[in-house]
Amino acid sequence: MKIKVKNFFLSLLSYGWLIISCTVVLVPMLWMILASFTKGDSLTGVPLLPDPSRFSLEHYKYIFTYISVSGSQFSDYLMAFSRTLTIAIANLFGVVFFAVITGYAFARIRFKGKKKLLLLMMILQMFPSFMGMIALYLLFRQFGMTNKPILLALIYTAGSIPYNTFLVRGFMRNIPKSLDESAAIDGATPLQILTKILFPLIVPIIGFIAVGAFMAPWLDYMLQSYFLQGQNKTIAVWLYLLVQGGNSAYKPLHFMAGALIIAIPIMLIQFYMQKYMVYGLTSGAEKG
Amino acid sequence: MKRKTLKERFKAFLQDIKQNPDALKSAILSMFVMGLGQFRNKQKSKAFILLGVLFLIIAVEIFTGGYIYALTGEMNQFPGVPGEMFPKINFIRDYGGLFSKGIWGLITLGQIPIMASYRGNVTEAFNKVLTWLSADNSMALLGQGLIALVIISIFIGIYIFNIHDAYTTRKKFNQGEAIETGKQYVKRLWTDMFPYIILLPTLVMVMFLILIPFMFSFLLAFTNYTYKNASLLYTVKWVGLTNFTRIVADAGWAGIFLDVILWTLIFAISASVTTYFLGMLQAIVIESKYVKFKKFFRTILIVPWAVPGMVSLMVFRQAFQQDGLINKILLSTNLMPTFSNFFHAIGLTSSAEGIISWLTVYGNAGLTKLVIVGVNLWLGAPYFMMLITGVLTTLPKDLYEAAAIDGATKWQSFKRITLPLILRATLPAIVMTFTFNFNNFGAIYFLTGGGPGRPNDLVPQSMLILKGVPGATDILISWIYKLSFTANEQLYNMAAVYSIMIFLFIGSISVFNLARAKTLWEDD
Repeated sequence: MKIKVKNFFLSLLSYGWLIISCTVVLVPMLWMILASFTKGDSLTGVPLLPDPSRFSLEHYKYIFTYISVSGSQFSDYLMAFSRTLTIAIANLFGVVFFAVITGYAFARIRFKGKKKLLLLMMILQMFPSFMGMIALYLLFRQFGMTNKPILLALIYTAGSIPYNTFLVRGFMRNIPKSLDESAAIDGATPLQILTKILFPLIVPIIGFIAVGAFMAPWLDYMLQSYFLQGQNKTIAVWLYLLVQGGNSAYKPLHFMAGALIIAIPIMLIQFYMQKYMVYGLTSGAEKG
Repeated sequence: MKRKTLKERFKAFLQDIKQNPDALKSAILSMFVMGLGQFRNKQKSKAFILLGVLFLIIAVEIFTGGYIYALTGEMNQFPGVPGEMFPKINFIRDYGGLFSKGIWGLITLGQIPIMASYRGNVTEAFNKVLTWLSADNSMALLGQGLIALVIISIFIGIYIFNIHDAYTTRKKFNQGEAIETGKQYVKRLWTDMFPYIILLPTLVMVMFLILIPFMFSFLLAFTNYTYKNASLLYTVKWVGLTNFTRIVADAGWAGIFLDVILWTLIFAISASVTTYFLGMLQAIVIESKYVKFKKFFRTILIVPWAVPGMVSLMVFRQAFQQDGLINKILLSTNLMPTFSNFFHAIGLTSSAEGIISWLTVYGNAGLTKLVIVGVNLWLGAPYFMMLITGVLTTLPKDLYEAAAIDGATKWQSFKRITLPLILRATLPAIVMTFTFNFNNFGAIYFLTGGGPGRPNDLVPQSMLILKGVPGATDILISWIYKLSFTANEQLYNMAAVYSIMIFLFIGSISVFNLARAKTLWEDD
């Protein structure tokens, strides 16, 4: 009897705690959705509970129709979106290409200086990427290379080579070497071994790093705010300007609508990738 | 075996040379012209490759420079003018190629600004024909200098290999060993070189987009490059350790720097610890036998991890505005005075009156910091919840059974079995989270923008003049961002100084991690 009471009390406590947690997690998100559908320009007008009399789609309309650049067919928001998309796609292909060839060389070929290069990669992976950012910005500005989304993708790619190389290398080391050896006996060149034999086997890890590379530019702000200004803003910079405050550009409700549209697909991808997260973490940090 | 001392090695080296005068000849030939010794050794293909490298370097130097103009009489047409700031023609500055001018630029950082009088003319921003009329651009010269330095280092490596190779090959030849012909060498080179060839694109990317920028940033810390010098009107100068001594010697600067460092550390530690333990609590509660619908609760609690952090941080920035969500909830539940008084009583806010200003008042900086840690907790806990849930499922059940038989209470078996196992499995993730939070730009910048700002009377005069004052909640990284990016506040040199500080700090943690992750970089 005593145990039953205790159990009941503990499950009550657990559910109570979880319900409070879920409320804290969900309320800000629900408020964001509510705000994005509210009339007017200020937070003051946003009610705590849905209020049909204040419902409005004006912010979504703004997002999809407001054009400040003369001659542009698409709204500023969509243009900013497409710039981030360009960077994301370029980064995806860049990262996969570099990580696969570098990972292959490190996993499968013996050569002089390999250990030193691996150590260099390891060290590079550990230092924060902003270290060279001032320099890259000054150099890019010097040679007129700022304001070009595609060139920004190069920086993202370079920065993520070390980490992803280790992921590919770690994955490849689990594939038996006898496969390459028998192919080599049959006369396959190293390049053929990579493209014909190993590539189909490493598709899972390629998928993992491809999604990571595609997501990176959507989640970053710093580099984009340095390198792309004026008419070349990306979605992150565009959104931040709406909430910076202290000026006439402060439009929190436009922000809510714009941010929601971007957050939903990212959220879905993240949920889908959730099961791989722990894998990426442990293989990157522990076994290799 | 005892390692030979340098002197002994040098003696052995001299001995070796004396015994092989013929090989020495090859080496000396290669010393003068790359590849010449290889010709003498009858390795034509190898010789041509080396000679080609030499010619390539010379050609780059000549064609990127203005030697041709100098030779065709430009120097006589516009001679140096005595009495000017630079009375003589500075040949390397005016006509040097990638390498010579690069090294000159690295040493001097440029000497002649725009509108200066030079060789009887006034210098311009950029002159396409008389290139020496262009003003010196310190940053371009620094960049060019670093590129030149890297290429020259590689070239010196090849040059040393060339001498060494000429000597040893000849020695082998004289001792009657078979040496490979040039053709064999080229074939072997191709197979040996294959890994280097496929690594080449990566190495080039890493060199130009990581290493050179890194060196560039490092060197900036030793210059006087600020927004005031960021034009062609001034050339930048090397200033040695001045920027470093300033933050140590000047009490005002040191105070602000320590303030920022301290808050960075407090934030990094409290953010990591709170997210870790809340994550653990959530994982344990959900996995406990008292809870059903585990998947439902887990899915909801993961939401903050799935939503892009940037977006949720900016939403929270709105929620903590004067007319935002939080104040509205407090007002509608009549809890505003309670909270207001409470925060004032524990010293987080400067006044207990009216509506709470969470993010904008300097007197409330303590409260703002609490908000930052709290919001970061909301964002970061799900990550550890997922991680620790994963660990919990792998815990060995028999351990608990054994413990129960020995009469251990639940709390004891948690403290002695569960906790140590979780800690051990998640240690790398904790270290990673700490370094991540140390540089967690977003948590600060998107939420508070570094604000509230510091009142002027708390800032030393010299910093007010130079600008680049950090806000009350700026951590190092967000301060660096402002220092290198806010219009008319760019103190690039100070940003570089603080970057080096972070580098040293993170570097020492990384060394610890590196030793742990030995299997990763060690070859099998």
